[in-house]
Amino acid sequence: MDENGSAFDAVERGPEGSQRPTGAPRSGNGDPAASHPSVTALRARFGATVLHHEVQAGDQHVVFVDAASNRAVLEWLKDDPEHRYDLLVDVTAVDYGGGSPIQIVYQLWSVGHKRALRVKCELPLDGLSIDSVVPLWKTADWLEREVFDLFGVDFRDHPDLRRILMPQNYAEGHPLRKDFPLRGRFSRAEQTRRALSQDYHDDYTPEALEVGGAPGLEPPEPTGSIDGPEEAP
Amino acid sequence: MGLRDREGGDPLSLAEVQALGQAEGRQGGLLGFGSPTFLTTKVDFVVNWARRNSLWPMPFGTACCAIEMMASAASNFDLARFGMERMSFSPRQADVLICAGRVPYKLAPVLRRIWDQMMQPKWSISMGACASSGGVFDTYSMVQGIDTIIPVDVYVPGCPPRPEGLIYGLMMIQEKIRHESLSDHYTLRAEDPSLVGRPHADAEEVEALAGPFGNSTQQDHLTSLAQTTRPERSEDLLP
Amino acid sequence: MTERVVELPEPGLRSEPMLINIGPQHPATHGVLRLLCELDGETVLKVTPDIGFLHTAFEKLGEYRTWNQIVPLTDRMDYLAPLMYNCVYVMAVEKLMGLEVTERCKVVRVLLMEMDRIFSHLLWLGTTAIDVGAFTPFLYAFQERERIYQLHEAYTGARITTSATRIGGMMADFPEGWTDSLRNFVETFPKTLDEIESLLTTNGIHLGRTLDIGVISGEDALNHGFTGPNLRASGVDYDIRKDNPYYDYETYDFDVPIGENGDCYDRYLVRMEEMRQSLRILEQALERLPDGPINVSDPRVSLPSKTDCMNDMESMIHHFKLITEGIRVPAGDCYFAVEGSKGELGMYVVSDGGEKPVRWRIRPPSFVNLSVIAKLAEGHLVSDLIMINASLDIVLGEIDR
Ligand code: SF4
Repeated sequence: MDENGSAFDAVERGPEGSQRPTGAPRSGNGDPAASHPSVTALRARFGATVLHHEVQAGDQHVVFVDAASNRAVLEWLKDDPEHRYDLLVDVTAVDYGGGSPIQIVYQLWSVGHKRALRVKCELPLDGLSIDSVVPLWKTADWLEREVFDLFGVDFRDHPDLRRILMPQNYAEGHPLRKDFPLRGRFSRAEQTRRALSQDYHDDYTPEALEVGGAPGLEPPEPTGSIDGPEEAP
Repeated sequence: MGLRDREGGDPLSLAEVQALGQAEGRQGGLLGFGSPTFLTTKVDFVVNWARRNSLWPMPFGTACCAIEMMASAASNFDLARFGMERMSFSPRQADVLICAGRVPYKLAPVLRRIWDQMMQPKWSISMGACASSGGVFDTYSMVQGIDTIIPVDVYVPGCPPRPEGLIYGLMMIQEKIRHESLSDHYTLRAEDPSLVGRPHADAEEVEALAGPFGNSTQQDHLTSLAQTTRPERSEDLLP
Repeated sequence: MTERVVELPEPGLRSEPMLINIGPQHPATHGVLRLLCELDGETVLKVTPDIGFLHTAFEKLGEYRTWNQIVPLTDRMDYLAPLMYNCVYVMAVEKLMGLEVTERCKVVRVLLMEMDRIFSHLLWLGTTAIDVGAFTPFLYAFQERERIYQLHEAYTGARITTSATRIGGMMADFPEGWTDSLRNFVETFPKTLDEIESLLTTNGIHLGRTLDIGVISGEDALNHGFTGPNLRASGVDYDIRKDNPYYDYETYDFDVPIGENGDCYDRYLVRMEEMRQSLRILEQALERLPDGPINVSDPRVSLPSKTDCMNDMESMIHHFKLITEGIRVPAGDCYFAVEGSKGELGMYVVSDGGEKPVRWRIRPPSFVNLSVIAKLAEGHLVSDLIMINASLDIVLGEIDR
């Protein structure tokens, strides 16, 4: 490969090349004057907790709330009879890269009122921790685990916050973050070696291993880490 | 004799096992190494005929390709015509592993273990671009070609291969079996016992195989690579 | 069925729970799903699903692809209803761009999506029937699926990996005679469906294996995020085609089947009826299929015609730029959902105004549906666990992504 790197280096580096310097956009592309009954009510009820409101893609209302009070806001949205967002459609996260905060996105739908609302919370990269909403919607259980696995966001009070898609002994980091290269951090040989040395006890919780009176089968110590000696050249 | 029964010792390597086999006087015996005799060719014919017409596939189907594999087993394409209607979901009674679909690293040990559990003689088919080379998914989670994990006899290209393609691949396995001989089977099909649970390829080879476009453009024929310095392994020496 | 509590046969006889591992490579798990079961005898005390064995990193890969290059990834995600995924992805991007597709394109997409709903339900039907021990429905279902395969192939050239849509339209218009083949399918398919139904709906074994198995109430189902046929089997009337219609679904005449008990049998009935309703929609869509262009003519997304490219420098450059750089999508984000064959199928696309998405997220219906299996299976027998898993209609490609 020459000095400037080949096309593959660009693939490894990731999509930062196409990154706008602004980071996360903070203005909708829909009609800014349009109002949404739930947003108006939220503003009246929670005041300054509601940080920002925008309209995206024509008619989709997005409301940014303070990350510290996400559960209070969502609980009210779920239980208030005027709004009743009883279906939590999706929980996910967006990393815009370039050090901008990670957005947690809650997509809500009210079956009775036939209304949708998107609630976003922004977490700075050095404080990736937010209250779990599993007590409100059981849907959030796996969806939050997935966000934890792929973005490394910590959900406080989550009943079972483990990796869900990647193996338990995965040591390369959180794949959907923008600074994570497409092919992973380790070399292919190292990845193969690690894959084949997976220990199935990693996937059992300690309680599960207690079943049938087989105590003492403790999960093995995690080996290696990103900063460990096994990093790929 | 078993391969592991040396008192307290490490598992034997392939070379040692072969040496032991020769020490026991197998060479040139009735079904021993080397020189085929009148008897062995006739026995070969019968054994190969039986083997090739009752191949029991072990379907290791993971993704889209598995759906095509199911289509080939269903009425329109009807694998039963080739003596393969009995999909063996237990690896211990299977002869040919059909790996159909994407194999992420999380699944790699499962694939390896299923291969290790299959009885000799065994063959394997890698069905589809993903299984053969990672396909379009050159990402952090995907095995770039299952030949880094297990040995592969036949690659079926396509995304997904049509059922006819899979059937053709299975017929190539039958063709391969036709040319096998009991007299050299012991050498060719034995897997080094120390390989159990290990990757099929060593570190250098994995890098060569899994590089960008690696596997798909460097493939020569069957499992051997063109222009790499990879050592010859006996299990790749099949005719 | 929580009343089926374990009772020790005799006082003093001790029983101990045991841990059983099903999968990840097991024919009854419909893919590479691993279920860790704690059993007391044959009764399931607790199930812990373990997923991720097919994690292909679609979402990460999408961030390295231009907007149109993502289309081929979508059909590899749910290989049971590929056209549905093709359509919903481009619908989300078009919504973000504020692009209105042509009338013909809308009807064409409705045709394709309803066809694939049948396609997907047929696979579910065949494999579920195998799980209760009936092999014949599998063969019948695959025979009909084979006809849809041929329709796929006649239109797109591929049997499963169709990649038929482009932003702003389709990759091509229907070939000649395609609608006749589809009409032929619509006319003859109900006969096979009746045959399969006569094999299963009143079959004693099937009833015994599905009635009152895996019951979930409507409220719980909603709280757990059930959508699609699974939710409607529990009696909640939520169908995106009716409640938040897209592509003029409100003008089609069809019913949404609703179950009562929320057990495996109701989920079976709902899906069977959905296939018939899809046939009705197909009939109406075939009737109204308008003439006209299938692709929009918007310089942002549509390629100039080949003759123009050959004669005119401007068009040539335009073509070149669209192909090499890809289209640009205005900054913003958009969530767009359709009623998929397995539930609410949504795409969440985030753009920063560039040629590649910042984030491409699939709202996975079977991922959410599967997370409920631990609750559904508690207290049932192991064989019922298999039936419950089958009745949820999961596809691992989309669960693990
Ligand atoms: S080769 Fe194509 S069809 Fe087969 S598993 Fe891979 S993506 Fe799917």
